[in-house]
Amino acid sequence: MIKTLGLEYYKIRRKKIWIMITLMLGVEMLWACNSINHSIAKNPVYAVWESIFFDISSMNGLFMPIISAIVVSRICDMEHKGATWKMLIATNVSRGSLYAAKYICANSLLLFGILAQTVLMIIFGLIKDFPGAPPTDFLFKFIVGNLMTTLAVTALQQWISLAIKNQAFALCLGMLGGFIGMTAGFFPAAVRYIFIWSYYLDLSPVTFHFAESASFYMAQSVGVGLVLIVLTMTVLFYIAGSIHVSRQEI
Amino acid sequence: MKQSIFAELLKLRHSRIGLVLAVLPIISLLFGCTNYYLNKGVLGNGWYSLWSQVSLFYGEFFLPILIAICCSYVCRLEHLNRNWNIILTAPVSVASVFLAKLFVVSILVMFTQTFFLGLYWLAGTLFSLPGPFPVETIGWTVRAWFATLSISALQLGISLRMRSFATPIGISLCAVIIGLGMYAANVGMFFPFSLLTIGMSVLNQDRLTDLQNILFWIVNLTFVIIFVSISIHRLKNKDIVSS
Repeated sequence: MIKTLGLEYYKIRRKKIWIMITLMLGVEMLWACNSINHSIAKNPVYAVWESIFFDISSMNGLFMPIISAIVVSRICDMEHKGATWKMLIATNVSRGSLYAAKYICANSLLLFGILAQTVLMIIFGLIKDFPGAPPTDFLFKFIVGNLMTTLAVTALQQWISLAIKNQAFALCLGMLGGFIGMTAGFFPAAVRYIFIWSYYLDLSPVTFHFAESASFYMAQSVGVGLVLIVLTMTVLFYIAGSIHVSRQEI
Repeated sequence: MKQSIFAELLKLRHSRIGLVLAVLPIISLLFGCTNYYLNKGVLGNGWYSLWSQVSLFYGEFFLPILIAICCSYVCRLEHLNRNWNIILTAPVSVASVFLAKLFVVSILVMFTQTFFLGLYWLAGTLFSLPGPFPVETIGWTVRAWFATLSISALQLGISLRMRSFATPIGISLCAVIIGLGMYAANVGMFFPFSLLTIGMSVLNQDRLTDLQNILFWIVNLTFVIIFVSISIHRLKNKDIVSS
């Protein structure tokens, strides 16, 4: 398994995927920082750590599904393009471990993106001189929530990217996910919980309370139920994808 | 040229790209309509309010990324199985290969735009909106289609250069965000992705002044010419990695 995973990294060594992730998240950060700067200029009360956590979580709803779709597609499409599936299957490695290696490889790259994003958030907060030290509790919850949602999203994306040769479908799904993630806040909770992409906002440590008198950021406690739903979705997508792809005719 | 276009159309046969082109406008329209229905009290400008809701996500995010997907798709076959060698040794000019691809993408986008406009008309009729169908929206759709030509030319150039299917789509997402920033900074006329926002009257439905209108068409045309020339020049003069 370690060898298979090592080979996955070897195959993408010149693809500069991590640079692409950093650039895309950089653009997202620029947008978020600009938006926070505007809201602070309008109302200085918003100059708090909570603002960056909420803004980034809501923007992740748009960016992360698309970035995940792109990363997974690049890792899977090279096998379709190079017609290397037959060769891989002929080696002494099970299809299940090939599938797992690709999954771990994609998620490790995305974890790098999430960690880079967290560092940028801390730097932004320190530059803006937000009161207090960076909240480690929020940081931890942000990383875990983001990663858990990403694990489920990549499981779904990998299934589509490997099952359907035409990557337009996988990227179209990523785009739809981004759309749902971006607009998740408008849906009622019952509808929101069906779509995995809305969990970027639901598993965020901070929420925004809209009120006519005064709107404000507040800490959000994430229920065990939500965590279980995400985990179940991850396992379901992964197992279904692995079984389907393993039994598929090449 | 004609043969190149037919060849491109032939390559799209059985590709089910139409499914992708149809699904995205439907979803953005459904969301826009739901938003309009829930906020009917605040959105009192009938057809125009509905347009502001349905075109927001479609014109701002979906359409540019859809163009990137189409461009990546029409270049995908060339990047497979050393097909570049066949294409570049075929008795057609490099320019006609590129222009045929651009033509096909523009036709696909035109189909999407027409479909979107039809859905908008259907939604407005179902909502029983007062007043006649606003003919301006047809103009906005056509203008947006013209703006998509420069985006298509740019994306095609990127997709021809990069073997990866997904990277050009990531670039498109970044460009969308930059375009939003440039539009907000009032320099939208000088970036193809902001030109789409202006052309489709997504964020502002005020009439463009004559000068703005002329500038819009000229700048767009200039972008198309620049992107097409660069891509064709590159195809003619640079070696292509075919495997």
